[in-house]
Amino acid sequence: MFGQIKLLFSVLLIAGIAGAGMYVMKLRSDNAILKANQVQLEQSIESQKKVLEQQKQDFEDIMESNKQLNKLINALKKDLDDLDKRFNKGKRDVGKLAIERSKVIEKIINKGGKNATRCIEIASGSPLTEKEIKATKKSEINPECPSIANPNYVPYE
Amino acid sequence: MNKILAIISILLLAGCSIGGEKKIKIFSVEEPRAKLNIEKPTPLQMEEIYWHIITSENADEVFKKLEDAGIDPVLFGLTDKDFEILAKNFAQIRNKLQESNAILEKYKEYYEKTEKEE
Repeated sequence: MFGQIKLLFSVLLIAGIAGAGMYVMKLRSDNAILKANQVQLEQSIESQKKVLEQQKQDFEDIMESNKQLNKLINALKKDLDDLDKRFNKGKRDVGKLAIERSKVIEKIINKGGKNATRCIEIASGSPLTEKEIKATKKSEINPECPSIANPNYVPYE
Repeated sequence: MNKILAIISILLLAGCSIGGEKKIKIFSVEEPRAKLNIEKPTPLQMEEIYWHIITSENADEVFKKLEDAGIDPVLFGLTDKDFEILAKNFAQIRNKLQESNAILEKYKEYYEKTEKEE
């Protein structure tokens, strides 16, 4: 009887130790999985951060590009308005002026035509000349399109 | 003896499948899209034209000058208003050209910059 109880306890003890061992092994295995998950999560967070930073940078680039394009469109519109003013400033009548001072107007028209032609060349991608880049005075600029022909010219009255 | 024979037979029959079929590994490699790389268009080289101002008073003089220079005495005319319209149309075409080029430049700048960063 005593022998049987002893055997039972021994079995229970061995089973307990084996169970504890297995439990520890399971905990270690769980711990390894959790560590791997943690590393993956951290990597994921890092990559998400990078994506967000890239998106932010892209957004800023898009805003900057739009700003620059709007600036260009406004400058081109101003050139067009200035051209209109040259024809219709005050009570100016180019036709009447041409009758009265044909030679002078012919010179002005041809100079304007030459400038306008150069503007088309620049708009199509022709590089600016040194003279065009350096122009800062009204007398030096291309009055047909100063916004694209003379980058250093600041309009003044 | 029979049992041993049976086991050997089973092993022989199943021998081909020991270790199983080799698994096909499928993997994908991201191949970047080929760049478009279209060259920039050659800038225009415009030819000069000469505008003649003709009034009822100087018409004879202008035509005589043309004849003297060996040019056919014929002119294709515009009124002052039409000249103004032509100048404005010209300016609008120029602006559109500049705008389109600037947009293309921005697209190139944006996407090529992104590719470099990647």
